[in-house]
Amino acid sequence: MKEILKVESISKTFKLSSKQQKVEKSNSKTKTAVDNLSFSAYEGEIFGLLGPNGAGKTTTLRMLATLIKPDSGDAFIDGSSIVKNPDEVRGKIGFLTSELKLEDFFTPDFLFDFFSDLHKVPDEVRIQRKEELFSKFGIDKFSQVKVANLSTGMKQKVSLAVSIVHDPNIIIFDEPTNGLDVITAKVVTDFLEELKQRGKTVIVSTHIFSLIEKICDRVGIIIDGKMIVCDDLKTITSEKNLEDVFFDIYRERKGDEI
Amino acid sequence: MKNAAFVVFKKELTRFFSDKRLLFTTVILPGLIIFLMYTVMGEAMNTSFNTDDSTFDIAVVNMPDILENSFESERYNITDINTDDINSIRDKISNKDYQLCIVFPEDFNESLLTYTTIEKDRTVPNVEIYYNSSDIQSSNAYSEAVSILSSVEETVSNVFDVNRLDSPDNENIYDVASDEEASGLLFAMILPMILMVMMYSSCVSFSVESIAGEKERGTIASLLITPTPRNQIIIGKVLALSVMALLSGISSFLGTILSMPMLMGNMEDAVGGISAEYYVFSDYLWLILIILTTIILFVTLISILSTFAKTVKEASSLVMPLMIVVMLVSFGSMYGTEAKSELYWYAIPVYNAVQSMVGIFSFNASPVNIGVTILVNLLLSSVGLLVLTKMFNNENIMFGK
Repeated sequence: MKEILKVESISKTFKLSSKQQKVEKSNSKTKTAVDNLSFSAYEGEIFGLLGPNGAGKTTTLRMLATLIKPDSGDAFIDGSSIVKNPDEVRGKIGFLTSELKLEDFFTPDFLFDFFSDLHKVPDEVRIQRKEELFSKFGIDKFSQVKVANLSTGMKQKVSLAVSIVHDPNIIIFDEPTNGLDVITAKVVTDFLEELKQRGKTVIVSTHIFSLIEKICDRVGIIIDGKMIVCDDLKTITSEKNLEDVFFDIYRERKGDEI
Repeated sequence: MKNAAFVVFKKELTRFFSDKRLLFTTVILPGLIIFLMYTVMGEAMNTSFNTDDSTFDIAVVNMPDILENSFESERYNITDINTDDINSIRDKISNKDYQLCIVFPEDFNESLLTYTTIEKDRTVPNVEIYYNSSDIQSSNAYSEAVSILSSVEETVSNVFDVNRLDSPDNENIYDVASDEEASGLLFAMILPMILMVMMYSSCVSFSVESIAGEKERGTIASLLITPTPRNQIIIGKVLALSVMALLSGISSFLGTILSMPMLMGNMEDAVGGISAEYYVFSDYLWLILIILTTIILFVTLISILSTFAKTVKEASSLVMPLMIVVMLVSFGSMYGTEAKSELYWYAIPVYNAVQSMVGIFSFNASPVNIGVTILVNLLLSSVGLLVLTKMFNNENIMFGK
């Protein structure tokens, strides 16, 4: 299997304000969010990053999506360096996170066209792809409704459609089902599996064990910015279920402070 | 393939033109408000200076024959009274029932008729006028009476005249300033200041919203994860914002220039016919170029400040100091006499635009100086765009919380 994503010991530290220092009960002026993290993902698989809140999952994905740069280390997406060639990387990935918002004023139809143009998608391809994605997610009925007037679930589906206007080979989703009802969440997870069927690589971050167990081929467990375990889901869950494995690891690292 | 800067440009303008409310409040309203405000102000000033239609009740003691003609008017309600009545009339003036009480000395007629310039040290007759300064009607009557009496005094003791108007239509032949120059002076005094302040504020309203607003709402991140080069995003945005600010600026400009005759109506005699008709096509062309490049510079500077800010609120306060600088520099044109001719003045941003406009309005436009202004504006804007690109690539500025 082709290694399509290769993360090589990336690290990221953030400056802490004096207020944050008190909250963190730390004298250090910086906080290491991601600490020397390495992993790989292969073509046609769904890779899950599992970890508690504040473990560094989102920071890792933001670095892969080139929103922020690692302090050290590098990652290669289909051969392009996130540090040296961020523009190339941006053309190869689709990134979805709650941090990215769509302008309330516009309609899904307009936004799909707008982002297609920015990704330089040819007009014929764009029209066909829009029809396909809009009907799959049921956006077609709302395609002329301003984003401001859409429900949370519909907004999420529009964001999803817009993030893959250029049909990228690597799709990075940060907490894909957060805040969605069970029906919308199922539409999203089904779609992730469909992407995988079509040979795409999907990287998701989550703290929901069931989501990982349902869709992921491989999983990396992150605690305090470090990759503790990274392996096939089957290998990891050969003896115990994922939840038990996770808590065993968590206790080992952090003691009993849960 | 579509150019990315153009895609962003088009998106910004679509947002602007398809939002009727935004369009109305930023393009129609400013011009309309300025037009109405100046027209109402002009009207109010005209009425307060104009008392033609009011009548005055005036009590007179010893009205001299020689003056009867001067006070013969439908507006003056003259009552002859005796010295004994003065006190009661004074009370009426204080109650605003009467406007004036004029008391002439008994021998006023004779002393005027026997007046010669030789008797210098004799005591001249004193005319007493009782009035009420807290009553506008009474004050107006007082000034009219004083001016009538002064002109009578002048005719009696006439030694020489200044600028006597002999021509039949009383045309002022002494002031050699043409209407054209008078208009130029007035426009050069007022318009550069008004234009600069309007341009700056319309740039602020669009740029702060488009940059700091998009940062605050998190929509800029969606743009930044596309493979669009940062400088294309910035160029598209800055140009679109400039177009919006230009439209809003033109609206304010039209409002100002159309209401100017109304505002200046009561000053007609002092400054002659005010009109924009004396400017030719090239004047307007220069003006538009100056305005456009200055707007691009403003938008770039405000965008830099808005990119630094995390919220619209913060950006709004960050742009205030620059507003004060623009205002101070522009106010200078109200007192400055003529446009500076030395070239180096035109290397100073903002000041160069004000000076160029003063030059254009006072018919002294120097193409070289205006050219330098346009170049300096474009050059500084390009430097600003580079700074913006650096900032857009800086994750602490773009995503710092």
